[in-house]
Amino acid sequence: MNEVDNSAWAVMLILILIILLPIGWIMVVSTSEPYHIVAGEPLREALENSGITVVSAVNSTLPLPGATGGKIYTLSDENGNLITIQTQPFDSAGSRDAAIKIHNAQSVGKGKPIEDLVVVGNHLIFVRPGTSGTIKKILPELQKIKAR
Amino acid sequence: MSEDATTAQKTGLEPKKVLGIFALAMINVAAVLSIRNFPSMAEFGWSSIGWYIIGTILFLIPLSLAGAELATMLSDKGGGVYAWCKEAFGTKGGFVAVFCEWSNNLVWFPTVLAFIASTLAFAISPALGTNAVYLFVVMMIAFWGTTAIAYFGENVSSKFQNVGVILGSIIPSILIIGLGVYWITSGSAIVLPPFSWAQVVPTFNLSTLPFFATVILLFAGMEMAGFHALEVRNPNTDFPKAMAISAVIIFFCTVMATLAIAFVIPANELSLSAGVMQAIQYFFTALGIPGAVAPMAILITIGGVVSLAAWLIGPALGLGVVAQEGNMPPIFNRTNKHGSPVAVLFIQALIGTFVSLLYIFLPSINQAYWILSAMTVELLCIVYLLVFASLIKLRYSRPDAPRPFKIPGGIPGIWLIGGMGAFGVIFAFIVGLMPTGGSFTTGQTISYVAGILIGTFLLAVPPLIFLKLKKPSWIETGNKEG
Repeated sequence: MNEVDNSAWAVMLILILIILLPIGWIMVVSTSEPYHIVAGEPLREALENSGITVVSAVNSTLPLPGATGGKIYTLSDENGNLITIQTQPFDSAGSRDAAIKIHNAQSVGKGKPIEDLVVVGNHLIFVRPGTSGTIKKILPELQKIKAR
Repeated sequence: MSEDATTAQKTGLEPKKVLGIFALAMINVAAVLSIRNFPSMAEFGWSSIGWYIIGTILFLIPLSLAGAELATMLSDKGGGVYAWCKEAFGTKGGFVAVFCEWSNNLVWFPTVLAFIASTLAFAISPALGTNAVYLFVVMMIAFWGTTAIAYFGENVSSKFQNVGVILGSIIPSILIIGLGVYWITSGSAIVLPPFSWAQVVPTFNLSTLPFFATVILLFAGMEMAGFHALEVRNPNTDFPKAMAISAVIIFFCTVMATLAIAFVIPANELSLSAGVMQAIQYFFTALGIPGAVAPMAILITIGGVVSLAAWLIGPALGLGVVAQEGNMPPIFNRTNKHGSPVAVLFIQALIGTFVSLLYIFLPSINQAYWILSAMTVELLCIVYLLVFASLIKLRYSRPDAPRPFKIPGGIPGIWLIGGMGAFGVIFAFIVGLMPTGGSFTTGQTISYVAGILIGTFLLAVPPLIFLKLKKPSWIETGNKEG
């Protein structure tokens, strides 16, 4: 009987440790990205409010269902290098979340994808490697827009 | 029965010696070489070479050499990293190493399965890639199908991997490289700026530092052949050759195919926002063969499946050995007539299915995904740190043990190789805690780091609990099917 008890405890423990607790994190954090329509161009607004000049903006919609009217912004960083940031609004929570999953599936080896993702309501902002310094600068502005 | 008795003696099953140099090399290639890495790395242009060199010096070479020495030294013991680390640090060290190698997969499986499903969708209808039901059905077919192949033992799974890795990893890589060469020789302009050594040197700053962990572990999986030690025909000669062959194939294909893509697609057009296939489509369209995109998507899907198979089978075999030695409850100790650890495979499939279900059907899990993804990196770092530490320790604790392949240079040589590897993974562990992209507030950063550390601990600690609960009867209670 003790044998069975030990086995049962061990199996329960492994299930709790491996599944419930880490996945619990998902459940807790997943509520932090609610879908809502953010009017206008949040990235451009955040860039301008942070004093970063947009060199150019071209229309570019991702080939994904529900993607509507995306843009690629070219801006100049503090060293004078031109960097590009892509932003893409989606017409529903389902299409936005599907795009997030596709992005997250593009990991390098067993690590993460090299591009980071910022979620602002219905917009996804794709952050390329080496541009995170700029994103850090505009993050407070994006947070304000998120909270609107 | 003594603790050191082989798995064969314990199970009563004599493993079939079905693996030779080629099959062993293909297991490693399947685990490491992935087309989906190429477009991502191509975004770095010439500096991708520098990143690859860092990964090669600090990880690929040390792990290949360590694997060759430890696998030949302990070729009569099953369990791969379990046997290696157990020999150096006892059952506790070996169990923690193999459990971390197994448990990191449970977090990683949904990612690679989603990649397989979304890439296959590109060959059928890209819109399917956002259909949750489609994604889940394909993910489950790939996952349970691969588990079923593992059920039929080494002979079947190695044939599947041999064919799959050639079709899904090597042929697509060579195709991309060949088309890159054609692009250059046909007089088309290379979109990269003119080559200079200065451009090869990667940029190191706070924003690129987290990427270091990714680069180091880009070649994770070189130890995978070690899990199949008992099925190898001539381990003393086959392991070193297989390690060398697989390392050369992986390095050559990865570097050359990455550069081929970087030559053709301008960096600012190389968006991965809609998936790796977006870059592959651009590549083939620029070369004037858009019709090749769908067949390529199918090949890359096959590559994803064999990568999944390598990671699904190897660590499960290792954990099966742990269970056979009575270190886990009897429920984990079931081996079928093909020598497959069916209980471990089944439990792994159940957990993977549940996590995949949550991954697909929970709404927006972006930030939590980053935490789980970072946990994968941290758990792997623990595994490799234990492997490099074992390599060094065994030179002191068992200096006279026969080593058919021995890292040259004596004690200084072992410290150099083991030390470089250990440095790489310790550094990767530390920077793996840093959030990427700068998109985290201070509060989010704290919860992110705490989440990674707590999650990593939870996924690494079960071996210690199992060993605490261990009973002598566990070794006898397990049974075999058929």
